[in-house]
Amino acid sequence: MIQLSKNYTLPERQEEPIPIKVAGVGTAGSNVLDRVLLDGMDKGDLIAINTDVQSLASSVAARKVQLGRTCTRGLGTGGDPELGYQAAIESADEIRQAIAGTRMIFICAGLGGGTGSGAAPVVAQLAREAGSLVIAFATLPFSFEGKRRAVQAQDALSRLNEIANAVICFENDRMGDMVAPKAGIHQAFGVADMTISQSVRSIVNLIQRPGLIRIGFDDLFAALRTQNGRCLFGFGESDTDNRAHDALTQALKNPLMDKGRMLSEAAHVLVQVAGGPGMTLSEVEILMRELGRHVRDHTQIVFGTAVDGKMGNRLSVTIISSLASEDALATQAASPPPEPFLAPPPAILEQVEEPPAPKIDIVPEPEIAAAPPAAAEPPPPAAPSIKKPAPRLIPPKKKPVVEKEAKPPKEKFLQAKQEVLQFEPVTRGRFEKSEPTIVEGQDLDIPTFLRKNIRVK
Amino acid sequence: MASGDLIVGLEIGTSKICVVVGETRPDGTLKILGVGQAPSRGVRKGEIVDFETAMKCVHEAVVDAEQKSDVMIRSVYVAVGGGHIQSFNNRGCVMLPEERDEIDEQDVEDVKVSAREVSIPAQNAFLHSIIQHYHVDGQDGVLNPVGMLGEKLEADFHIVHGVRTRIQNTIRCVKELPLEVEDVVFSALASAQVVLTQHQKNLGALVVDIGGGTTDYILYVDGAVKQSGALAVGGDHITNDISMGLRIPMARAEKLKTEEGGCVLGNCLPGETILLKDDSGFAGKEIERETLNTIIHLRLRETFELLKRTVEEEPFINYVGAGIFITGGCSLVNGIDHLAGEIFEMPAHVTHAQTLSGLTSAVENPQFSTAIGLLKYAQAVQIDRPRRGITRIFGRFFSGMR
Repeated sequence: MIQLSKNYTLPERQEEPIPIKVAGVGTAGSNVLDRVLLDGMDKGDLIAINTDVQSLASSVAARKVQLGRTCTRGLGTGGDPELGYQAAIESADEIRQAIAGTRMIFICAGLGGGTGSGAAPVVAQLAREAGSLVIAFATLPFSFEGKRRAVQAQDALSRLNEIANAVICFENDRMGDMVAPKAGIHQAFGVADMTISQSVRSIVNLIQRPGLIRIGFDDLFAALRTQNGRCLFGFGESDTDNRAHDALTQALKNPLMDKGRMLSEAAHVLVQVAGGPGMTLSEVEILMRELGRHVRDHTQIVFGTAVDGKMGNRLSVTIISSLASEDALATQAASPPPEPFLAPPPAILEQVEEPPAPKIDIVPEPEIAAAPPAAAEPPPPAAPSIKKPAPRLIPPKKKPVVEKEAKPPKEKFLQAKQEVLQFEPVTRGRFEKSEPTIVEGQDLDIPTFLRKNIRVK
Repeated sequence: MASGDLIVGLEIGTSKICVVVGETRPDGTLKILGVGQAPSRGVRKGEIVDFETAMKCVHEAVVDAEQKSDVMIRSVYVAVGGGHIQSFNNRGCVMLPEERDEIDEQDVEDVKVSAREVSIPAQNAFLHSIIQHYHVDGQDGVLNPVGMLGEKLEADFHIVHGVRTRIQNTIRCVKELPLEVEDVVFSALASAQVVLTQHQKNLGALVVDIGGGTTDYILYVDGAVKQSGALAVGGDHITNDISMGLRIPMARAEKLKTEEGGCVLGNCLPGETILLKDDSGFAGKEIERETLNTIIHLRLRETFELLKRTVEEEPFINYVGAGIFITGGCSLVNGIDHLAGEIFEMPAHVTHAQTLSGLTSAVENPQFSTAIGLLKYAQAVQIDRPRRGITRIFGRFFSGMR
C-alpha cells in the first residue's frame, strides 16, 4: 500500500529546459533584443549580430557578433543587402560559434535594410546546418519607407521562408494601427518590438511550459507552415473576473489577427491556454467556444493547455496560425527540400519532450503506417496529387527509419483532421422545394449560420 | 349588425390568414367589429404555392371572421406581398397649351398618365402609383396644383409593381370563394397606414413589416412614399434555421422561437439551458439559450443588413427623422428593436396599429397590422372616390393616398 502511494507521487518529473537562443540581426533586431530582455528573458540567451559596431556596443545582449570586419569595417551596410550577405559569409565561423549547442533559435530581423535582409537568411542557414530549429521573426518596413526597401524585404522574406522552419512576419503598417495617431514615432516602433517580444516569449512558453495537453514542435510547425508567410499571431492575458473572454478578445485584437477575421481562412489554428492553478475547465470551454465562432468548421484546431504556478491569477491565450493559400500548398507539395531539415526536430522530441506514455504506446502503429509509404515510394511525383494532407506525409517517406518515434503523433494528427473535415450538406430545410431567394449571390433560404460558417453548437 | 359601411381586409400570410372586419362611421372613425384567422397552408414566402389548400384556409378565416363579427362578408380588400414586388420613383410632365395657363383637373390626370409611361418588365403589372409632390414651373412641393397658374406641370410618383400572374393568383383565390375583391394593396403600404401617424410620415419613417415569409418595407419622407419593396425572408426562415441548427422538428422550433427566442447576444448566463419536454415522436432535449439566440440573431442581423443596403441605394434614409417602425408577427421576437436600432443607427420601435376603436386586443397585436391597415387604406380611398368597382384593379390611379 505504501509503495502504491509512493507511485502516485512519482509522475512529477523534472523538466529540463530546451536550450533556446534569440538572435537579433541588424539594428532592428537588436532593438527587439532590448525589449525581450525587459520582458524577462535571460541575458545569456541573447545574441546580437550586426555590421554596425556602434549599434553592437549599445546592445544589451551578452554575446555579440560583428559581421564583415574587413568588408564593412565596423560601419553599417548602407541599406545594401548584398553587402550584408557578404559580411555574414565572411563572419560565418563566428556566427556558428555563437549559436552552437542551441536546439531552437529565434532570429529577429527588420527586413528592408542591408544587414537584416542580407545577413538574416545566412544566419538562418547556418543555424539549420548546425541542427537547430529556426523560427524567424521578420518585420516588413512601413510602406512610406519606399518601394525599394519593400522589394528588398520581400526578397529576404522569401529566402527566409525557404530556409527557416517557420517565419512569423510582422507588417509595420499594421503595427501603426495599434498606436494612437498622436503617439510618438519611437512609440510606434516600440509597439512593433513589443509585439515581437511577446510572440517570442509566448512561443518559448508554449514549448517549455509543463502542459496538461502539450503542444509540441510538430503542432507548432503545422500551424506555421505556409510558403506565403502570412502568419497570424495573437496573444492575450488577463486577470479580471471575466478573464477567459478578456484574454481572447485581447488576443484577437492583435494587429496580426485582423480582429479575428483572418482566422476564418486558416486551415490550422494552434491555441494554447495557460493559467495558474485556479484555471477552471469551464473557463477553457467558454474560451474555446468563443474562438470557435471565428474559425470555420473544417479548421483544424490544435489545442494545448498548461498550468503554471508563476501565472498566479492570470490566464493567457496564445493563438498561432498561418494562412493557407492554394499556391502555397501546391509549392509545398511540389518542393519538399526544406523538409529533410526536419530531421532534428524528432531528435529533440525524443529527448526533451519525453513523449508521454500514450504516444509511445502507439509505436507499433508505424509498421502499419510504414507500409503505405513503402508502396508509394516508387512513384514519388504522385505526392502532390494526394490533396492537402500530402505534405505532412513527406517527411516520414524521406526518413522512415529515423522518424519512427515522431510518426505516431503525426498519424494521430491526420486521423483527427479527417474527423474534423465533415461536409455539412447544404440544405434548405422547409424551403427545399420553393423558389430560391437569391440576393447578392447568396441563397437566403440556407440558414445564415451555415453560410457564414459560424458554429452554433 | 353594422350600421355604417362595412370594410373587410384580408391578408393571406405565410403563417396565417387573417380577416379584419370594420365599419366606417358617418363621423369618419373606423371601428373594428371582429377578427377572423386561420393557420395558413399552401403559402410560401408570401406567395401561393398550393392553390386548393390556400383557398380552403382563406375560407376558414372568412367564416371565422363572419361568426365573430356577425356580418356577411361580400367584398374584401386584399393585401399582396412577396419578393416579386418592386418599386421606383418616376416624374411625369405635361406642358399646358399656349392659350391657357390655369392648371385644371385634366392636366393632373394627364401628368399621372405620363408618369406611368415607363417600361416595367413585360410580365409585371402596376400595383400602386402614389403621388409624392407636384412641381409647377419648377416650384417644388406643390400638394394640389388645380387652379394654380403655370406652363409646365410635373409630378413625382412612387410606382409599385409586381408580377402580374402572382397578383392574379391571389385575387383568383379570393374570387373563387366567392368574394369580391375591392382592391389589392401592397402589404407594407397597408401596414404603414395604421402604424404611422401623419406626423411621423412627415418626419420621415421606415416601416419594416416582418411577417412569416417576407419582410416588406416602405419609407416615408416629407409625408410621401419614397421607397418600398419586399424581401422574401421572414419568420419562417428563423424557424427553419432553428430547426436545422438545433435539429428539432419545425413545430418545436416555431414554439421555441415565439416563447423563448431573443436576438440580443450576451445577456444570458453561460450554460443557461432551455428544456424541451419530450413528446410523442420527440425525445426531450436541452438547448442552450445562447445558441438559440445566436441563430436568431444571425438571421435577423443579416436581414436588417440586407435591408439597410437596399434602402441605402437611394439617399432617402438620411432624411428619416422618426426612426424605424417594426411590425408584423416577427416583431414579437425579444430585442428586435435593439438590433434594428444598432444596425440602422437610429431609434427603432416595435409598433402595432394605432388610432382605432373597437377590438383593441386585436389592434394591439403587430400580427394584424397589415389587415387593419387595409381598412384604413380602404377608408381613405373610399372618401376620395366612393364605391369603386373591381374593374380597374390594374392600372388604376388615385391621388388621395399618401
